Amino acid sequence: MIIYGRSARTVALCLLAAALAVVPVRLLGQIPTDSWPTYHGDYSGRRFSTIKQINTGNVKALTLAWVYRLNTSRTGAIVGGEGPDTPPPGTPPSIKSTPLMINGILYFSVPDHVWALDARTGRENWHYAWKTRGGDHIGNRGVGILDNWLYFLTPDNYFVSLDVATGKERWHHEIANMKREYFSTNAPMIIGRQVIIGVGGDALDIPGYLESRDPEAGNLVWRWNTTPRPGEPGAASWPDEDSMSHGGGMPWIPGTYDPELNLYYLGTGNPQPVLSGKSRPGDNLYTCSIVALNPNTGKMAWYYQVTPHDTHDWDAAQTPVLIDGDFDGRPRKMIAQASRNGHFFLLDRVTGEHLLTSKHIDSLNWTKGINSTGQPAHDPAKDASVPGTLISPDTSGATNWPPPSFSPDTGLMYFGTRQTFSVLYLTDTDGRPQGWAAAERNVGSVGNALKAIDYKTGKVKWSRPFAMGPGGSQGGPVGLLSTAGGLLFGSDGGGNFVAYDASNGKPLWHAGLGTNTSNGPQTYLLDGRQYIVVGAGDSLYAFVLQQ
Amino acid sequence: MIRVHRVLAVLVVLAVPGVLVVSAVPAAAQQQALTPVTDTAAVERGQQLLVAQCGFCHGANARGGSGGPDLTRSTLVLYDEDGRQLGEFLAVGRPDKGMPKFDLPRAQVSDLAAFLHSSIYQNSNRRLYKILDIVTGDAKAGEAYFNGAGRCGTCHSPSKDLKGVGAKYEPATLQARLLLPRGRNREPGTVPAPLYTDPTSVTATVTPSSGTPVSGGLVRLTDFEVTLYDATTGQMRSWLRTGDTPKVVVVDPLQAHMDQLPRWTDADMHNMTAYLASLK
Repeated sequence: MIIYGRSARTVALCLLAAALAVVPVRLLGQIPTDSWPTYHGDYSGRRFSTIKQINTGNVKALTLAWVYRLNTSRTGAIVGGEGPDTPPPGTPPSIKSTPLMINGILYFSVPDHVWALDARTGRENWHYAWKTRGGDHIGNRGVGILDNWLYFLTPDNYFVSLDVATGKERWHHEIANMKREYFSTNAPMIIGRQVIIGVGGDALDIPGYLESRDPEAGNLVWRWNTTPRPGEPGAASWPDEDSMSHGGGMPWIPGTYDPELNLYYLGTGNPQPVLSGKSRPGDNLYTCSIVALNPNTGKMAWYYQVTPHDTHDWDAAQTPVLIDGDFDGRPRKMIAQASRNGHFFLLDRVTGEHLLTSKHIDSLNWTKGINSTGQPAHDPAKDASVPGTLISPDTSGATNWPPPSFSPDTGLMYFGTRQTFSVLYLTDTDGRPQGWAAAERNVGSVGNALKAIDYKTGKVKWSRPFAMGPGGSQGGPVGLLSTAGGLLFGSDGGGNFVAYDASNGKPLWHAGLGTNTSNGPQTYLLDGRQYIVVGAGDSLYAFVLQQ
Repeated sequence: MIRVHRVLAVLVVLAVPGVLVVSAVPAAAQQQALTPVTDTAAVERGQQLLVAQCGFCHGANARGGSGGPDLTRSTLVLYDEDGRQLGEFLAVGRPDKGMPKFDLPRAQVSDLAAFLHSSIYQNSNRRLYKILDIVTGDAKAGEAYFNGAGRCGTCHSPSKDLKGVGAKYEPATLQARLLLPRGRNREPGTVPAPLYTDPTSVTATVTPSSGTPVSGGLVRLTDFEVTLYDATTGQMRSWLRTGDTPKVVVVDPLQAHMDQLPRWTDADMHNMTAYLASLK
C-alpha cells in the first residue's frame, strides 16, 4: 500500500517532489490511500484506487455514513467578491467538483462557493461565498491546494486564494473579462510551484488560453494560447488572424501529468464559431486536441488533434488518461481518451505518436472515415445546413467531461456513452458567422450505455445499458471510480449510485439517491475505514461498510 | 428559498424526462453576462447610422468589410458602456491605421452602441436564433419515399392521420415529429402532461412470479426497479428487480421511427418534410 504522508505539508512536498521527478514514478501513478490531493486523486487521470477494504465480496454491506446538503446561504459564511450583495436568481447548484481530501478534511466547490467538511462526519468546518458579478454558472470542477493555500476560479473569472485552515481569503485576481462571455469552471491543477488554470466560454468568438500563476501572489508566470497567432506554428491551419485569434479552444477541464517526462497533458475545446466552419477553413489547430506542455514554461512538446475542423461542439476536454502497459507486445507509456466525437484514441505519450483509433458508439454518422493518421475525417455534408442536418451524436456528444476511469487490474477504460440524434439548422448564413451560428433540435437516443474498452484493441469488452424512461434510453456521461477491490462506482442514469463488478459490469450494490451522481466519486481511508464519497445534485454522500 | 427551488426541480423532472441526462449545457442553469438592449428604436437608428457611416469599411452588419475589422468581435466595443468608450474613440479615431475620426453627436454614438451591443447579444444567445426556411426539399420525391423506401404508408395515411398535418405544425416542428413524434407538441405557456401518460410513451409489461402481467407507460426501468403508469386508474405501480425477476418486456410504440433514425439521409428527410408540409 502506497502512502504519501499524513499531513497536508507532506502531500504538498510530494507534489513538489513530483515535479522534480525525485519520487519514484511508480508512486505517482497511484492515488494515496489516506488523502485525495488533486482533482483526479493523482496526476494520471485513472481514478483508480489501490484501497480494497470495500470489494466485490463485501460491497453489499456498504451503507450511508453521512449526507451533506449544500447550504449556500451567506449567513455564517466568509463572504468575498466584487458583485452585488443580493445573489442572482438561479437554479440550485449541482456538485460537479471532485472533493479533495487532506488531513481528514474535504474541500469542494460549486460556482461561487467553497466548503471545508469534516471527512468523518460530513459537517461543515467553513464555507466561503463569493459575491458574483454574473457569468455562466454552469459548473465548477473543484479546487486546488498547495501547502496552506486553496485556489479556485469563479464564473466571473476571478482566481481566488483562501487559507485552507480557516477559509479566509488571501487575494483574488481577474483573469478574463466577462463582457466577452468568458466564464471560468476549471479546477486549478498544481504541479510543483505552478498553479495551472484555464478559462472557458463559447457564446462569443473568443480565444482560449491556459495560464500558470505563482502560488504566493497569484501573478502570471506563463500563458499558452490554445490557438496560434500569425507566424506561429499551426497558424497555417487558419485562414487569417481574425479567425485564429477568435478561434475558441477552451481548456475547460484539468489535465494530467507525467512527472518523469515532465509533460502536462490537456484536452482542448472546440473551435469558434461553434457550428459553422465557413469563416475558418482548415484544421483549426490546436482546438479539439490532446496537447503535451512543459508545465514550467507552457511550451508545447507535441499535439494530436482528435477532431480536425470540428463543426459540432465536440470539444476534446475529456480527461486524457495515462496508461502504462504493453501495446503490440512491448511496454509503452501511453495516453488514452474516450472522446466526445464518438472515438477512442490511444497515443504514445512520450512522442504523441498515434497508436489506435476505434469507434465507441455505433450510431455516429458524421465522418468520411478514419484517415491515415487515425483522425476522423471531416464530412462537410454533415455540417449544419439551413434545411437541417441529422447528426449522431448530438452536440453534447457521445461522451462528455465527467471523469472516466482506467483500472490497471482489468486493463479496461470505463466511461458513459450516448447514441443521440439531433438536427442542426444553420441560422447564420453570413460569410462571417458568429457565436454558435446554428440551432439544434434534439430528437432522441437509440441507446446509452456504460462501456468498458480494452485499451490494447480499442474494442468494447462489456457494455451495460443505462436506465430507461418514457422517452427511451436515459443516462450518459458519468463520473467513475475504479478500485483494487474489483469495483467500478458510477451512476445508472436512473438516479441510482451503483457499484459494478469492474470485470463484467454486473451491478453488485446500489443506493437509490433519486438523482444521478453529478461528479467523479472518490475514496480514502480514515481511521482505518474506507469512505466512498460522491455528489448528486445538491448533496454530497459518503458510504462506508457496515460494522 | 431552497425549498421553492426543490419543488420547481421536481416539476421539471416530471415534465422533461431527458433532464436526468448528464448534460454539458442544462438550459435552466445557463446564465449570460451580457444583457439585451431594450430600446429597439435606438437599435434601428443605430443600424441606419452604421450602414451609412461605417458600413463601407466594417460591413453593413458590422462584421467587417473592405479593410475594416469585425466590430462585433472588437474588445473596444464589447467593453463599451452605452457609447461612452466608443464616443471617446470615435472623437480621435486611429488615423495611422486608416480609421478617421468621426464627430458624431452623443445621441448618435449612443444609438450606434445600442445597435452593436444588440447585435453582439443576438450573436451570443443561441436560444434566440431563428430557424430559416427549411422547406427546400422535393415534395414529389418525398411522396415517393413515403410510399416506397420509407415504408411510412405501413402505419400512416395522408388522408387519415396525416390529413392537414402541414398546416398544423410549423416546418421545424413538423420535421422533428417526422423523425420522432414523441409526446404532444407543447402549447406555449402550458406545462405538458408527464410523458408516461402519453400514448407515444415507451411502455412495458411486468410479469410478477405470481400474478397476472401488468402493462403501462414506462415511468422508469433500472437494474433495481421498474415503475409503470396505469392510464385507466391514473396510478403508478412499482416492483423491485433482482436480475431478470420480475420479467419486464419493453415496447416502444415508435420503434419504427427509432429504427429509421440511423437510416435517414438528409435528402430523404428534406423531401419528406416538403411532402408533409404540402399536406395542408
